[in-house]
Amino acid sequence: MDSIILEALNISKTFYEPKAVKVLRDVNFSLHKGEFASIMGKSGCGKSTLLYILSTMDTDYEGDLRIDHISMKQKNEPELASVRNEKIGFVFQFHYLLNEFSVLQNVMLPGLRLGKYSAEETEHRAFEKLKVLGVETEAKKKPNQLSGGQKQRVAIARALINDPLIIMADEPTGNLDKKNTEIVFNIFNELITNYQQTILVVTHDSEFARKTQRIIEMEDGTIIN
Amino acid sequence: MNFKLTWNIAVALLLAHLRQTIVAATGVTFSITMFIALLSFMGGLNKLLDGLVINRTPHIRLYNEIAAARHQPVDLTNAYRHSYNFVSSVKPQNKRLGIYNSRAIMKAIALDPRVQGLSPLITAQIFYNTGQVNITGLINGIDPNKENELFLFGDYIIAGKFIDLKNTPNSIILGKGIAKKMIVHLGDIIHVTPANGNQVPLKVVGIYQSGLEEIDNKQSYTSIATTQKLLNESNNYITDIQVKLKNISEAPKIAAYYRQVFNIDAMDIQTANSQFDTGSFIRSLISYTVGVTLLIVAGFGIYNILNMMIYEKLDSIAILKATGFSGKDVSRIFSTIALGIGIFGGLAGLILGFILSVIINHIPFNTTALPTIKTYPIDFNIGFYFIAGLFSFLTTYFAGYFPSKKASKVDPVIIIRGK
Repeated sequence: MDSIILEALNISKTFYEPKAVKVLRDVNFSLHKGEFASIMGKSGCGKSTLLYILSTMDTDYEGDLRIDHISMKQKNEPELASVRNEKIGFVFQFHYLLNEFSVLQNVMLPGLRLGKYSAEETEHRAFEKLKVLGVETEAKKKPNQLSGGQKQRVAIARALINDPLIIMADEPTGNLDKKNTEIVFNIFNELITNYQQTILVVTHDSEFARKTQRIIEMEDGTIIN
Repeated sequence: MNFKLTWNIAVALLLAHLRQTIVAATGVTFSITMFIALLSFMGGLNKLLDGLVINRTPHIRLYNEIAAARHQPVDLTNAYRHSYNFVSSVKPQNKRLGIYNSRAIMKAIALDPRVQGLSPLITAQIFYNTGQVNITGLINGIDPNKENELFLFGDYIIAGKFIDLKNTPNSIILGKGIAKKMIVHLGDIIHVTPANGNQVPLKVVGIYQSGLEEIDNKQSYTSIATTQKLLNESNNYITDIQVKLKNISEAPKIAAYYRQVFNIDAMDIQTANSQFDTGSFIRSLISYTVGVTLLIVAGFGIYNILNMMIYEKLDSIAILKATGFSGKDVSRIFSTIALGIGIFGGLAGLILGFILSVIINHIPFNTTALPTIKTYPIDFNIGFYFIAGLFSFLTTYFAGYFPSKKASKVDPVIIIRGK
């Protein structure tokens, strides 16, 4: 299929401190456009490590990573930063919103970094993304005035600002209660159905994972299912 | 990344740490203020002290020195011309003090394009006679107009007018000390006796204060003509020619030239006052050292605050990097913060420094040595402001460089995983 967006080819990683431990062994998998996949596994199985490699933030690994058919292995730090800026949206367990900026400005920041649209257009787009996530009324507030669920939704809006190829989420519901978990899941689902967004979620919440289209199960640094 | 975005992020971070920012900027402001005030004050003082010597001292003085003849007769005899001749008990030559052919020499010097002006001088030992007491002293015959034009003679007259020396025949301007000793005032007649013994009455038309007790206790001034009369000399008798040049640095060269051409002794100001340049230089050096030290201390303040800010903002740096800001972008943000503190602190410092200089310039400063100075001297030199601005820019840049580098090296994975 031509619509492969992300490809992991024989990815291995070893931690050398305090002693050599191979946390990932020959991980191979690919992700297609519009897929909603989750990586499941017990704590310490290497799922987060894998996600950070896939996100291009961790460059210390063997094997190859292709995003949009382009190998990431040869790229330097600023080039990888541009790839993250343009093609990847992140959602973490913690929201990582900057309290110095308003909600709207937080969403705008990666857009301004990309510089594809003017500041006014970026602001308009950011507002649209907040609308999609139903937090447009909080646009002028500072992040610390928001509830946990709202913050996470703003973080998702920020991930969407540059229309990324893929959204990567690391335990996006780890800090949320059941109701907010539900909301976040529904948002992800909506993005899949309405916008054909590709989403890769790392979670140990089996209930959440079960509802996704594809579950990648990991154990001891390899994919078992 | 465009500058506007960098700037906006930097400003937001600065405003979030407003108090620390102000403290850091105040450090820069304070050091720049002191730097400017110190250098301006020191510069003013240097100029004043240099002026004291340069204004009052001829750049070149032509005179006949009492000395032994350079060539003893034995050196000129055919038999001993090529030998080493040792002559013991050599005495100075019987040379007259008046300059030979003084008028022609003065005419020639006045035509020299390198010369700003010249003033003739006669110096002679005299006694001031008051009652039964004779006080030794020194009399200077001068041309009052030229002396004032070239050496600001009028500035040091504390009573009377210098021009009366010319207008009133047989007049004298006394040093403050000697006038006090003799208990005389303006308009009184005093008697003086030169080495030849004929006592002459002179009218006091002014009191002179140089600020140097030694001089004020001995020295007095009369016109050239009066001194010539006093000494029973002809009207072309003068002992010194004082020359002021357009360019003071040429003095040693021109002095050597005159020495050769006019066959006369010539002393240049650099040789006569060699300690002076050294003093000015050392004072400037000290003020620059203190100023730069202050700036470096301010630089450490900025360094500290940036380091703290980076430590507090690790999360923000991590997410900026995760969402596509490169290490260079992050480093640029923190450099901008440092430079922002430096530029605003520095600008405030320049303005406050100027204000402080103006205030110092208005503080009364009365000293007997400098009758024309009423307030502390300040050198409003634009160069100091350039140097201070440049230094504040450089120190803040370097203070920001290492923290920025550190921020650019933050690994987002480590920060995000740690949560």
